[in-house]
Amino acid sequence: MRKPTKAPAAGSTAASPLVDKVQTSDLLHLLVDSVKDYAILLLDKDGKVLTWNAGAERIKGWKANEIIGQHFSRFYAPEDIAKGKTETELKVTREEGRFEDEGWRVRKDGSRFWANVIMTALRDKNGELVGFGKVTRDLSASRAAQDKLKKQAQEIMEMATVPVVQVWEGIVLVPLIGMLDSQRTQQLMERLLQRVTETSSPFAVLDITGVPTIDTQTAQHLIETISAVRLLGAEVILTGVRPVIAQTLVHLGIDLSNVLTRTSLAAGLRLAISTLNENAPARTERAV
Amino acid sequence: MSADRLSVIRIRDLLMVTVPPDPDDVTISGLQQRVLAAMEQYEAKGVVLDISPVDTLDSFFARTLSETAQMVGLMGGRTIIAGMRPAVAVTAVQIGLTLRKIETALNVDRALDMVSSKPQLKKSL
Repeated sequence: MRKPTKAPAAGSTAASPLVDKVQTSDLLHLLVDSVKDYAILLLDKDGKVLTWNAGAERIKGWKANEIIGQHFSRFYAPEDIAKGKTETELKVTREEGRFEDEGWRVRKDGSRFWANVIMTALRDKNGELVGFGKVTRDLSASRAAQDKLKKQAQEIMEMATVPVVQVWEGIVLVPLIGMLDSQRTQQLMERLLQRVTETSSPFAVLDITGVPTIDTQTAQHLIETISAVRLLGAEVILTGVRPVIAQTLVHLGIDLSNVLTRTSLAAGLRLAISTLNENAPARTERAV
Repeated sequence: MSADRLSVIRIRDLLMVTVPPDPDDVTISGLQQRVLAAMEQYEAKGVVLDISPVDTLDSFFARTLSETAQMVGLMGGRTIIAGMRPAVAVTAVQIGLTLRKIETALNVDRALDMVSSKPQLKKSL
């Protein structure tokens, strides 16, 4: 607490009487030494470790007496050292005054962590290089969280790009919306075959109402998918074949004559359901 | 190693053939011989090939399946391939096999339904 009797020192942030007794540089030392969230260290001109703080010990694992005097390449993976990463970092810092990087670094026990590293060139009054300051943060946790988010987003995208829904006993429906690239058609094939097998559905209705155009490659992929579904023992009905699509398919010379096609999804479903009903009596007879 | 791993069972006027998970070339050739021999012996109306245990398909196996079906056809029978796995279907399409002459079913149950219902249902659509 500030004592009211003493006036604050002019032009200084050191307003507390405590500061009168302790030098600010000592305080700064204390700060650097005790910070646990950042590894703050000094390197000499050649990259050998001069100082070590609590954060460095916590993040990297070495104690001060184990690492001081050693080259800072100890913190890098062998493949990075082989690529000359440490020299490059020193060179960039020397020339530009500063270097920032995000990447994998190595702990004492050999395990790796994802680090944000900032290096600063330290120069004396004459501009002579005396060493480097290095601040490292461990970002492993936030990176893991980011990766998880990315993975979740991807899963949602996959679901959204190729939804395969069972709409009726024995019928799965794939409403396709938007352009079909080869990655999507690949996913489509995999998911559709999987679902047809899981649900033992004799019919798969592929609705392309929402597909703006079809090129030769996409059509080829669709034909492959249809062939594969047939090999499983199910039949594919292609619905939503609009005039534009029909024209394109014929102009491209794509033969869909042995594929069941219907203009509307409703017509496709009607066909599937009536065929299923036709077969139903045979099944019930057998069950009796 | 031998065609003994293959089972060909007659059920009424049908032949039920179960293919082992990883058939070698000898087994595959044996399959054709035994199916045709059984067709002659029992005068069967059709063959149901259960390939649900099979998880890999090569071009020799695919060609043999397709040829066998044609031969069975010449002998007056239908061939239905039942229970193909998704991964096998993808491979089959990639090696250009579409089994156009062969009928397929999701499983043996449905294959039997197909035989007992109107023949060649798919072509009537």
